[in-house]
Amino acid sequence: MTHEAAAASQPFVMNTTFWTATTIFILAYVVIVSEKVHKTVVAVFAASLMLVLKILSQYEAFHVEELGVDWNVIFLLIGMMIIINLMRPTGFFEYIAIKSAKAGKGDPMKIMIIFAIVTALLSALLDNVTTVLLLAPVTLLIADALEVDPIPFLIVEAIASNIGGTATLIGDPPNIMIASKAKLNFMDFIYNLTPIVIILMVVLLFIIKIVFGRKLKTREELKQRIMQMKEKEAIKDPLMLKKSLFVLGLVLIGFVFHGTLHLQPATVALFGAGLLLLLSGTHEPHHYLAEVEWPTIFFFIGLFILVGGVVKVGLIKWMSLKMLALTQGNLFATSMIVMWFSAIASAIVDNIPYVATMNPLIIDMAKQMWPQETGLALLRHTDLMPIWWSLALGACLGGNGSPIGASANVIVVGMAEKAGKKISFMRFVAYGFPIMLLTVFISMIYVWLRYYVLNL
Amino acid sequence: MKAKDIMEQVKDYYLSPDDTIRNAVNKMRVVKRDDGIVGLKGMIVLDSEGNLIGMVSVKDILKAIIPFYMTMTELGEFTWEGMLAEMTKKVADRKVEEIMMKDVITVSVDAPLMECADLIVKHNLQRVPVLNKENKAVGIIYVRDLYNAIVKVLLDDKEVHNL
Repeated sequence: MTHEAAAASQPFVMNTTFWTATTIFILAYVVIVSEKVHKTVVAVFAASLMLVLKILSQYEAFHVEELGVDWNVIFLLIGMMIIINLMRPTGFFEYIAIKSAKAGKGDPMKIMIIFAIVTALLSALLDNVTTVLLLAPVTLLIADALEVDPIPFLIVEAIASNIGGTATLIGDPPNIMIASKAKLNFMDFIYNLTPIVIILMVVLLFIIKIVFGRKLKTREELKQRIMQMKEKEAIKDPLMLKKSLFVLGLVLIGFVFHGTLHLQPATVALFGAGLLLLLSGTHEPHHYLAEVEWPTIFFFIGLFILVGGVVKVGLIKWMSLKMLALTQGNLFATSMIVMWFSAIASAIVDNIPYVATMNPLIIDMAKQMWPQETGLALLRHTDLMPIWWSLALGACLGGNGSPIGASANVIVVGMAEKAGKKISFMRFVAYGFPIMLLTVFISMIYVWLRYYVLNL
Repeated sequence: MKAKDIMEQVKDYYLSPDDTIRNAVNKMRVVKRDDGIVGLKGMIVLDSEGNLIGMVSVKDILKAIIPFYMTMTELGEFTWEGMLAEMTKKVADRKVEEIMMKDVITVSVDAPLMECADLIVKHNLQRVPVLNKENKAVGIIYVRDLYNAIVKVLLDDKEVHNL
């Protein structure tokens, strides 16, 4: 019997173990949401409780795909982080940002539009936090140069990064997690999510134009400050830049063909990280490795074990039965509920723990609906696919709903505060929430048309 | 010789946490030593009861003037003429309290000079406040004061003390 089948046939009794695991799980999520204790600390401690109390065995936590740590997610994140850490000192991102500002001829409106596009593109290929962290300092400098308010720029970048990140497998953590669980490959995301993301970006650019079109003005002599910047001076290490771009290109090609080549995305990312470390000729990898965002990595590790615990005791199965009862097995209704619920949930809480919980829930639900199917036939069931896309769209786009909805928003709000320009909760919501509603609404029409009307 | 033998008296050369950067710069500028105005590049910050709560140096003021985003990455090449002046005006009214260094390394009045020299080199300091037994700042030892002590040892045998 495979582990999958074993998990499916788990006895499901509401005994002491069930309630212990459920209590740990709920308490952990409550403390994470309350932000009283750092989320990584909560996740790691709660995960360790699952192990110490023998709710989950260490073997299950480390080696059973259904119950434990998803190493594919972990190493994909680590691999990409190492590549970026090696690439960052070359000055490539500053170069791109200054070049973009000059392409906008120093006009704030044009710069905002170009920055939104650049942010979305970079976010689709790198993680959103990295993108925003790389672009925000240059954005603040340019706003100072043009003597304009940087806040609209920063908020637009966070929003564009959340939308852009939705486009690809590697763009946003929810997508990485969904891809790994549902065995979706890079091109699946390109076919199914990239088209809608392009539509959403066009809509966003229109909105930007309408909302900020007249407000953003600067003086001619200030534009000259931008035009006099020499973007080439940003490049600190041209040789390393060439190596980085070569490896990044190789990694992207690897992602495009990973399905055909039967290589997991994490394998591609680790290969890129290994190759670039080798090419960099560094004798001190310590620095590049230390700068991996270990708190994020351990947050994932803790969450996977935590969720594994409640999967094993049957809480997730119970939840999936409740959800089936609610939707009466109507697939379209299910995907709409998943999308809207995900969007609202992700606006309020971190979408990573949310998706970590939803993934096994959807798989459990699928097992109830198609009991005769197993493995890929179950995970990639034609009727299940729109539900995965709805989860991805809801969880990623929902992040725009509030300043705490996505990591990119948190970064942007923090940066603005440091720059002495506080973005109040409501100011972010005023921009973000309507955009979230609109983008999720458009996505809803997209999913409905594409998968339930046109059956593409 | 001990710290108290080479330190400069604090007198009224100190900042209060409510001083603005503009005030602070003015107070530092007009400090007199011996018979002329010498100015200081750093000053201690005392609260209303005379307790040492921080120190402000020219570097702390510069740090306040340089926008934080410039410290995140290399953007120096993309700054413009007049930017320093613009940014300086922006921070002129910020309080000393916000920009001062709060973890001040101090010595007691009876500290041997070697302790002072060791701290100055180890922590790359320009000045070390000297505290009395009641923990009040009574003086400051500057790098220059230690240097003078060394000069005396090296250049005039008669002046040798128990360093």
